[in-house]
Amino acid sequence: MIYLDNSATTRVCEDAVRKMETCMREAYFNPSALYGPSLEVRNEINRLREDLLRLVHCPEGRVVFVSGGTEADNLAVLGGTASFRDGKILCFGGEHPAVKEACKAARGLQCEWIPLLRDGMADLKALEGMMDPSVRLIAVMQVNNETGAIQPLEEIGRLRDRLCPGALFHVDGVQGFLRVGMDMKACGADSYALSSHKIHGPKGCGALIVRKETRLAPVQVGGGQEGALRSGTENVPGILGMGAAIRAWKGAEGIRLNKESLYLGLKESGLDVRVNGPDPLSPLSAPHILNVSLMPVRSETMLHALEGEGILIGIGSACASSKQRISDTLKAMGIPRPQAECALRFSLSPETTREEICQTVAAVERQYAFLSPFQRR
Amino acid sequence: MRNLLLVRYGEIYLKGLNRPYFLRTLVSRVRQAVADLGGKVWLHDARIFVSGCEDMDECVRRVCRVFGVHSVCPAIEMEKDDFDAVLEQAARMMSGLEGTFKVEARRSDKHFFLDSPSINAKVGEYVLDHTDGRLRVDVKKPDHVLSVEVRDHVYMYVRVIMAVGGMPVGTGGKAALLLSGGIDSPVAGYMIAKRGVELIAVHYYSFPYTGPQARQKVLDLASILSGYCCGIKVFVVPFTEIQMEIHAKCPDEYTTLIMRRYMMRIAERIARKEGAQALVTGESIGQVASQTLEALTVTDSVVDMPVFRPLIGFDKIDIIHEAEKIGTYETSCLPYEDCCTVFTPRHPATKPKMEKILEGEEKLDSERLMEAAVNAAEVLTL
Repeated sequence: MIYLDNSATTRVCEDAVRKMETCMREAYFNPSALYGPSLEVRNEINRLREDLLRLVHCPEGRVVFVSGGTEADNLAVLGGTASFRDGKILCFGGEHPAVKEACKAARGLQCEWIPLLRDGMADLKALEGMMDPSVRLIAVMQVNNETGAIQPLEEIGRLRDRLCPGALFHVDGVQGFLRVGMDMKACGADSYALSSHKIHGPKGCGALIVRKETRLAPVQVGGGQEGALRSGTENVPGILGMGAAIRAWKGAEGIRLNKESLYLGLKESGLDVRVNGPDPLSPLSAPHILNVSLMPVRSETMLHALEGEGILIGIGSACASSKQRISDTLKAMGIPRPQAECALRFSLSPETTREEICQTVAAVERQYAFLSPFQRR
Repeated sequence: MRNLLLVRYGEIYLKGLNRPYFLRTLVSRVRQAVADLGGKVWLHDARIFVSGCEDMDECVRRVCRVFGVHSVCPAIEMEKDDFDAVLEQAARMMSGLEGTFKVEARRSDKHFFLDSPSINAKVGEYVLDHTDGRLRVDVKKPDHVLSVEVRDHVYMYVRVIMAVGGMPVGTGGKAALLLSGGIDSPVAGYMIAKRGVELIAVHYYSFPYTGPQARQKVLDLASILSGYCCGIKVFVVPFTEIQMEIHAKCPDEYTTLIMRRYMMRIAERIARKEGAQALVTGESIGQVASQTLEALTVTDSVVDMPVFRPLIGFDKIDIIHEAEKIGTYETSCLPYEDCCTVFTPRHPATKPKMEKILEGEEKLDSERLMEAAVNAAEVLTL
């Protein structure tokens, strides 16, 4: 099987599996307990906190371990705006539902959507016009989960500093973490959400990294763990499994080369390839996501046909794909409906091999030749 | 003393000499429905009894879905020779209730020492005396009826739960249902099965145009129907090759109708192999282009067995209500494309011309295509 849906989730790497097994069999202690073995567990979790803060250039910040990207986003948005009763939130129009729905749920605050340009990037001119001192929070993802468009976070941070310095800036890094560098200091982000299962770690774990001075209210209360920002006994196997996956991460350069080969392979095959997102060869495109429409073959048809050949791909956000409608992101980008109906998302990981890419190109070519004459007229 | 279910049947009462056959079938259907709950089922004195189920609520739920069952009463079985115990049990059963009540005794054991009016009077009096004045007697329009049936034992119950009715599956022959995954066909299947007809289901699978989730959706629907039908055999027929051939060689506006004709032909072949005598579809006049009178005539003309369309005069909203009632609506609404809509033309013919259809079909190697599809069908029993 060739797995090219790594933006939906990834295989848990061996290091993470081993670490989790040790946690469950041997180091199963509650980190809050007072005896020695639990202190060792706590120290190991704290070492991971330090590593994470270094990775995202936020040395003075706090790491709150949570159950995944959705919870991290909810905590940032709802916890960050809890003390406000009026004002507005500016949310990127291509944002994941974890952020969009949290923004809509923030009580008393009005939500405005930052428009997208045709290549999937945030429209900075429009954003500038939307900013004023009543803005309480700006939420923009680091990498769009469907198109792979890397958002201009530093420019957004600068605009915030100039036009609404009181607003919090939250970045969803679920698709960006490790695959694209993150510098919270440089872009002025107040919080950064990441998820373990997108980087070969286990499901059920993630983190919200928060700048030291950023005030958040907890969304989940109880025993006061995680600096009272996320009560509940820590998911030690998940957290340390994620840590093992981060340490085993092989870097993004190999992924980018494979993605470019995939794109060029499809293009050179003579198929009607239309890119949904930034130019896949440009630095604005994330190294692991390629979103293309192979006209006129519809997304689901090609997905199933490739599945028949043992190749698994995605057609959009896995979290929303059961709703079977045109992707909101592609619609917001102004992609025509027939093109959006044919959108395919190939997402790679460091485990993807060159040979798998070659086999995929050949399979797509084969299926395209078979299917393209038989589409709804 | 023990808890059991007293199951009452409906229309079977109207049967004459063949009533035992219908009853035997019904008992066997009830037995099938509760088999994995450890239930024991027997027929005695015009009632079906179910005992021994650990989960009585689940048992009630399942028996209520057996076609042929009119109603189900969770009852207490008592020995006949201890009438004092019967009275005490009656008071216990009524103790949590308020308002008006009456006692309704039936006595098939004519040797019992009290006749029905006397049982009513004695039990009623005892209940009144032992329920702290929270109950009054009203024999005309009571809030609660305590039924006391004197048979081989005394059976007492207050609750009567209405069941689905109909006739036991298997007593009305066998038919093949064309099951698409939409809202209509499961309802059509339910209605025919309710009249005692055993169903097999035929589903057309258009991989890769429809995927495993669409297939699973149909199996889930079949599984819901199976809960009523005591099992259903599903034939998943690969249909892509036929659809592609039609798409490539037949006039655009006729592709849906020609496709429907092949579906009917294949379903008839499977039906005959399985000993089924009719086809069932979820069509309703005018709902879509392939369901005009002219179009239905064209699809009917390819088969030599009766085609039942129980929804033919239903409005969509009525079909939706039925689907909600039988529990298929939510599954039917899952948004996976089904085989019927994969190649829908923009302007399908609503008043088709037979010669055009025959002209299109002549271009296809029909026999080979249909034989291949029937032979490759996957068969699942749910």
